[in-house]
Amino acid sequence: MDVVAHIHAGQPTETPWRFQLDEMAWRDLVEGLKHDSLPFVGLWCDGVAVHALFMPHGTQPLAASLMLEGGRYPALSPARAVSSLYERMIFDLYGAEAMWATDVRPLVDHDVWAETMPLAAAPGGAGSNKTMLTFQPSEAMQAAGGVTAGSGPASGGRESPLHIALALDGDVIRYAETVTGYAHRGMAQRLKTCRVEDANRLTGRYVAGACAAHQAAFCQAVEAACGESMGPEVSLLRVVVLELERVSTHLFTLAGIARQAGAVLVASRCMWFREKLLTEAAPIIGSRLMMDHCVPGGVNLRTAAAMGELCSKLAELGEEIYPDLVTLWQSYPGLSSRLVGLGVVDSALLEQVGLDGPVARAGGGDCDYRRDMRAYDGLWRFTSGRHDGAVEDRAIILLEEVGESLRMLNTAGPKLGLSAGGRIDLYYEDGEGIGMAEGPWGAVLYWVRLKDGRVEHAFVRDPAYSSLLALEAVLPGQNVADLGLIRASLGVTASALDG
Amino acid sequence: MGLIRAVFDASFRQGSARLKPVGPRWPLLLFHVDTGGCGGCGMELEALAAGGYDMQGAGFGFASTPQGADVLLITGALTYAMAPVLEAAWKAMPTPKGVICVGNCAIDGGLFPENYTIMGGLNRKVHINLRIKGCPPTPQEVLDGLCSLFGQRAPAAAYAGASSSSTSS
Repeated sequence: MDVVAHIHAGQPTETPWRFQLDEMAWRDLVEGLKHDSLPFVGLWCDGVAVHALFMPHGTQPLAASLMLEGGRYPALSPARAVSSLYERMIFDLYGAEAMWATDVRPLVDHDVWAETMPLAAAPGGAGSNKTMLTFQPSEAMQAAGGVTAGSGPASGGRESPLHIALALDGDVIRYAETVTGYAHRGMAQRLKTCRVEDANRLTGRYVAGACAAHQAAFCQAVEAACGESMGPEVSLLRVVVLELERVSTHLFTLAGIARQAGAVLVASRCMWFREKLLTEAAPIIGSRLMMDHCVPGGVNLRTAAAMGELCSKLAELGEEIYPDLVTLWQSYPGLSSRLVGLGVVDSALLEQVGLDGPVARAGGGDCDYRRDMRAYDGLWRFTSGRHDGAVEDRAIILLEEVGESLRMLNTAGPKLGLSAGGRIDLYYEDGEGIGMAEGPWGAVLYWVRLKDGRVEHAFVRDPAYSSLLALEAVLPGQNVADLGLIRASLGVTASALDG
Repeated sequence: MGLIRAVFDASFRQGSARLKPVGPRWPLLLFHVDTGGCGGCGMELEALAAGGYDMQGAGFGFASTPQGADVLLITGALTYAMAPVLEAAWKAMPTPKGVICVGNCAIDGGLFPENYTIMGGLNRKVHINLRIKGCPPTPQEVLDGLCSLFGQRAPAAAYAGASSSSTSS
């Protein structure tokens, strides 16, 4: 069965790429997906229906919707592993049950909230647990045996809160499971019936390190819902902010990997380079973490006319510092040998968890949404060369992407010239739109439905869900001392997971 | 969460009476807990610790356990799930001890006010010894705030043009 044709055979909706299926057709869809490689993006609920989004070609979306019957729907997780996380989130927030789901453990609601099923038509009472969350191991973890240990949610480090439970055999991890939800801020509820400008500010705080990617994707979704698209000047300014964010986040990650690998000098050099770039950029852009610069209808930069000059200046800094950093990374005694072969995410695992971004590129995956984005015409080029999928490969890919982004900034600078940027006033018509950006860890996607000038509902796709599954899958067999190293190299961030 | 009574004792200052059984009061060791935010404040704290801000030279460091810390440094809007974790960290710290909130979320929830999962920051819930506002504050602003505890000025950053008032994060 051709799954794409099957979805197209559903009942058309007001949104040209979304089709309504009945329950039998939805079940056929799940069966069809088991034998089809159609890229799955995400699953969400709006209280009335569930919606599954796919990306058959490049950035062309295709969605299937199913009205909830008796608060239940057939799960997609038997066909797409990552869907289990969406199904668990939907149950926690709406109480909608995924039938035949592969995992029914709570994801973010651990019986501590002020009300359960907060987005359901009739929310439940307050949770009864007022103490620290207790980890309930799955049957698979119990079967793994060994000594149990755990890491987080408060480790004293600067990472966001996540608990990783481990079954150990000496120093070797036999099995790993995570407990999420510590950083759940209720984003889905906050975005509901929210003013568009306020929603944009919230998306900028979804997860630090990908603020610009989230806001760029959200803004594109809002603009698409309004039937507007931005001109080349604004698009290029957004690209500059996105690439600068990528450089900053990658250097931050590289510093974390190097530090945990014992290469303190390399870590220090990465952070020093990052600070040099941000010290130049922040006064002109207006912030260090690229928050609130992509706004619906345009950009909001402190000194937009200086962006062209800034790009050239950052590229100059890159030419001065980057080659030495690469040499240092490659030649630092013991660094490469410490990382080689660690935490391998191979192509089979990538396909299973649906992971994209630099982790997938380091494992041989050919996925980068920038190639399909018009704003990157003349800027993006395929560079990925590593494909063994280990921490070392991921680190080298990140390092290469830093150089590539700096090259893009160098090319973008003269194009921008004294470009003023600015924004147009959008008339928020009722409708749905979708927006995407290639964030530092992969594609960030927003689906937005506008109604009465507000965001009626929004869905966020961040690579974090797939990263979490990849982390749980690669940890068995690894030394427990490498846990932080592997986590950092996969970009597992609780803020993005918990929403 | 039970009420945290933070007593920021004068013993933090050099030369004052020290109430802790062991260890010098210098540097001041901070135990960081992210109680549920976007992670931006954590990134800026990492930049402060690992960048060229000379945090150690100013007399501050990060502790890896609450047992070895002097101050609980909190970022994030405080979720119900993290409240017991925060309380456990506080109880594990030796006295005298204090609380520092970094970022608007930790102070009053910032963009994440109270809802079914968020308690909305620590303001009016516990005694806070130092509030460092911002969304998020820059590393230099955090260092300036920390140094203000002792009435001293923060050392200059190693980057030309970096200053506490240049920009927000």
